[in-house]
Amino acid sequence: MTPLMEFRIKGLKRLVLLSILLAQALVLSIIESWIPVPVPVPGVKLGLANIIILITIIFLGFKDAVFVVVLRTVLTSIYAGGPVLFMFSAAGGLLSTTVMAVLYNRASRIFGLIGISIAGALFHNAGQLLVAMIVMEDTAVFYFMPVLAVSAVIMGSFTGLIVSYLSQKLERISIIRKD
Amino acid sequence: MNQGMNILKKGDIFLVIIVIAAALTALAFYNWSRDKHKEGSSAIVKQGDVIVHRINLNEIKEPYTFEIEGDYRLVVEVSNGSIRVLEADCPDRLCVKSGWLRYKGDIAVCLPNKTMIKLEGVNDSVDGISY
Repeated sequence: MTPLMEFRIKGLKRLVLLSILLAQALVLSIIESWIPVPVPVPGVKLGLANIIILITIIFLGFKDAVFVVVLRTVLTSIYAGGPVLFMFSAAGGLLSTTVMAVLYNRASRIFGLIGISIAGALFHNAGQLLVAMIVMEDTAVFYFMPVLAVSAVIMGSFTGLIVSYLSQKLERISIIRKD
Repeated sequence: MNQGMNILKKGDIFLVIIVIAAALTALAFYNWSRDKHKEGSSAIVKQGDVIVHRINLNEIKEPYTFEIEGDYRLVVEVSNGSIRVLEADCPDRLCVKSGWLRYKGDIAVCLPNKTMIKLEGVNDSVDGISY
């Protein structure tokens, strides 16, 4: 399989797509907040919004993905969370988006979308622990990292698989194709 | 749909193996170093980077509770040898789900309230309450 084609969509089409993607990321975040997590470890979650972030990286590029991540984080913090949680999810989201974009653009031959998604989940958790470490001035929070890593592998594989199939289908839709 | 077979690349499998191996090693090392017989006896309650309470759990005769105020309110229960977050009004209540902390190295964290409880051996802390 050749690496996914580089799509660079411009103008009004891009704006519309970006709004749809942002809305979808928001809805997935809200749905996710309704699902209880069985493990008492901060940071363990489904990461469904990651599907949308990775799709944005593939079809619109890194900058637009950052745009979606920042707006999603601001809006979900208003909906539920507040300033402290905003700090944690912004750090995790930006780090994870950067890592996924770099891997997707530079290392697509080595890593498929599943690997990229797992790496994104890992760095999302690492970014949050990093902020927790700075806030608490305590390295004890890294005690959670092994559990978070295992959950990142499981959930990253799941969302990566979804992105693989979703992006294959989206490529065939004429609206998304480059003009 | 043969493309489905190529979704997993070599790097992906390599990444999964490395991460799982590292996580299991870390967990094994943690369990080995934790030494279940050595109970943690000094509980440290931190809010942000400030230690707000330091409690010698071995000296507790009667169980009691105290509150931690912040963006959210936590109720902490202390009894002989163990400590837990009894109630919290934060959104995810992960600190409550962490249950009783008993052994050295056990921690409970409430990120929304920037609060952390961790257990240390009493000899580890120079300024323990027993001084």
